[in-house]
Amino acid sequence: MPSLQSPQLLLRVNKPARYLGIEINAVHKEPDQFQVHLALAFPDLYEVAMSHLGLKILYSVANAVEGVYAERVFAPAPDMEEVLQKENKMLFSLESGTSLQDFDMVGFTLQYELAYTSILTMLALGGIPLRSADRGVKVPFVLGGGPLAFNPEPLAPFFDFFVVGDGEEVLPEILKLYKEWKAESSAKGRDDFLKKVAGVTGVYVPSFYEPFYREDKFAGINPLAEEASLPVEKRTVLNLEEAPYPCSFIVPFMEVVHDRATLELFRGCSQGCRFCQAGIIYRPVRERTVSKLSQQAKDIINQTGLEEISLSSLSSSDYPYIEELLEKLEAELDENIRLSLPSLRADPFGVKLMERIQKNKASGITFAPEAGSQRLRDVINKNITEEEILEASRDAFRTGRGHIKLYFMIGLPTETYDDLREMVKLVQKISSFTPPKSGGRGNKSRVSVSVSNFVPKPHTPFQWEQQLNIPEVKRRQLFLRERFQKMKGVDFTWHNAENSFIEAVFARGDRKLAAVLEKAFTKGCRMDAWSDMFSFSAWMQAFQAVGIKGESYALHSPSYDDPLPWDHISTGVCKDFLIREHQRAVEGITTGDCRWGNCAGCGLEACSKQNGKGEQI
Amino acid sequence: MERFRVCFAKSGMLKYISHLDLQRTFLRALRRAKIPLAYSQGFSPQPRVVFAAPLGIGIEGINEYLDLFLTRQMQMELLEKRINKQLPMGLIVKNICSISLEEPAISALIGAALYRARLEMDPGSLQQNIGNLLSAEQLPKERQHKKGKKQVDIRPFILDLWEEEIGGSRNLFMLLVTGSSGGARPEEILELLQLPELRKGTILTRESLFFRVGEKLLTPGGAAYNNINEVKAWREKLL
Repeated sequence: MPSLQSPQLLLRVNKPARYLGIEINAVHKEPDQFQVHLALAFPDLYEVAMSHLGLKILYSVANAVEGVYAERVFAPAPDMEEVLQKENKMLFSLESGTSLQDFDMVGFTLQYELAYTSILTMLALGGIPLRSADRGVKVPFVLGGGPLAFNPEPLAPFFDFFVVGDGEEVLPEILKLYKEWKAESSAKGRDDFLKKVAGVTGVYVPSFYEPFYREDKFAGINPLAEEASLPVEKRTVLNLEEAPYPCSFIVPFMEVVHDRATLELFRGCSQGCRFCQAGIIYRPVRERTVSKLSQQAKDIINQTGLEEISLSSLSSSDYPYIEELLEKLEAELDENIRLSLPSLRADPFGVKLMERIQKNKASGITFAPEAGSQRLRDVINKNITEEEILEASRDAFRTGRGHIKLYFMIGLPTETYDDLREMVKLVQKISSFTPPKSGGRGNKSRVSVSVSNFVPKPHTPFQWEQQLNIPEVKRRQLFLRERFQKMKGVDFTWHNAENSFIEAVFARGDRKLAAVLEKAFTKGCRMDAWSDMFSFSAWMQAFQAVGIKGESYALHSPSYDDPLPWDHISTGVCKDFLIREHQRAVEGITTGDCRWGNCAGCGLEACSKQNGKGEQI
Repeated sequence: MERFRVCFAKSGMLKYISHLDLQRTFLRALRRAKIPLAYSQGFSPQPRVVFAAPLGIGIEGINEYLDLFLTRQMQMELLEKRINKQLPMGLIVKNICSISLEEPAISALIGAALYRARLEMDPGSLQQNIGNLLSAEQLPKERQHKKGKKQVDIRPFILDLWEEEIGGSRNLFMLLVTGSSGGARPEEILELLQLPELRKGTILTRESLFFRVGEKLLTPGGAAYNNINEVKAWREKLL
């Protein structure tokens, strides 16, 4: 079935391949085949959206539900937005060209705070009133899910409901519920459905709750309806092995950011880095077996023809059967299929794995020590020693790898300039391992240092910490820049401080920030994660217009007793554990990985370890 | 190793994908079809598939070519059937022939292309304008490069231009030099003739690619024309 995008639209934009909707494995259904029409919306460009595994899982899960048709809708590139507005056209779905406003439901994935303005852009271009309170009977329900649904408050007025936790079980339940409601009781109005859906575990209907404030500070949240549970428990797919997995990935025409198939080795991570939100919200660790993964790998290659498979997870060298898996994949897949391992630990074992799968050494290797000094690595619980990092780097260069990329964060709690000096020293040591003349690749840099800025995230032990102020972030960036510039063969990149500030404000934001978001959107903010699109002055004007200070969010360290705007959303990890971890951080005491060692007592009920079985499911 | 020459069409929605996208799309279809592709040697072995000539976004091609190197012999009908089963809508293999391994790379041989522009709105008489272009000594054209603008004389790249009426509507045919050592793009000719561009709705088709050997024009599929007039005569016979 051809899609309805017209040549007049497509020839006026830069990359029309973003909007065709007829890629291999895209799902097309006739109108008489479904009663529920769901738009899976990703608030960023096609090439980012199509790199996201969650979207692929939900696309296949939703389309497998009887009577449901799920399509993709992505943020239009600025040139397409301009054309749509000039032609008075609505934002459309890729597969059938349906306007956003004609769907039954529009589900947004919430991956990063800097995409929030793009959500509003998409709603507006799709003809959907921004605020759920203004939506009439025929307007689609707008839902959101993903990591940021664990603090959805800044988005609350724009969404009808959120899904907290793993979506693959909840979404079919919601769709079935909606199908029944649409057929039988839609005459009772939107609230009737919201009351029903609020009964599904993992669903949060923000309009059923009202936050209250004391002296302008968040002080708590009150349920307004009988259906409003407190707290909202996240949903967890306990048996990942049997969970649906999409082997018929859509095959993009154009190059996307992660242009490869993905295997999900396991979900969750037990390393316990204290800045990391994913490490908390995706608990417990759930693994897939080698035989399941190798079968999925074969199916994916057969159905997509992709040339590369990424063995993905939050920390792939922690997969206990990684060598066995590699062996099986090497034996069973065509020799020209490339394997890749993102998120390796910066230790010799990681390098060994990399050696094994990547014959092309020019492509380099990435390590994330996160902090430069051992002291600070202990604070953040990045359980890796300098010796391991150095040995890994030495091994990487010795075996012919031409390039090492290092990820660090600055502004971590307790960081001083001494820690930065240690970072400089560490990089210096690593770059000294560079073979003088290898591969004849001229003066190309051998070590790339990329420094991002610490953002305190909700539900982590560092949720009580504050971000560094922008001038201080810049001072530290300059400090590092001056030193790295002098090093031969080292290049240095850093994240925009203003960008990280906005991220920090919204990460720990409350419902009052929705007004700022709306204002920023009307001032033209969108796709803020793209440096060429980001306008800090527009953001500052938005804060000013609403009368809210971003600093009171980003630069504020709440006390343990302060109610937090996300307290009513439960990850299953108890606050006592987070407090304990925070205190240990300040004292510089590490906590071991509970996967191999003792239970750290995070309080998660769904974890078998905690139930005394001593082993993960 | 075996070498096959594949003639295919790129049309419909797929005319909006770039040349790089086309290469990727074809390779993935070949892998799904389990075609025994030969790979290059070296650190990052690449499948040996060589496309004849890139085609601009928005232009359809009805006789495009690529050369395919396989590790073993395959029956051509089966090859065609298996590939077509895996191609997305808008791409189709029209026929396949066997080619000697000794022949130079197809991309190095391409020297000319025949384009057709459907003239939807009546542009008035073009005879005068076409005549002016063909009799001009030089046709300087400004081109945007990565490093700024550059003047290029595109007159030598225009082999012939003519009009044909097909099914009651007017068409402009452009036989242009193309290939690795320079050429003209059909959009440039439309502009010189002050005809509406692609985005204004003009439909552009690349009808054929040619190798140039002296006066002769040979299609990669094996048809031979002694000169431009024979190409025109072949066109007329199609009517």
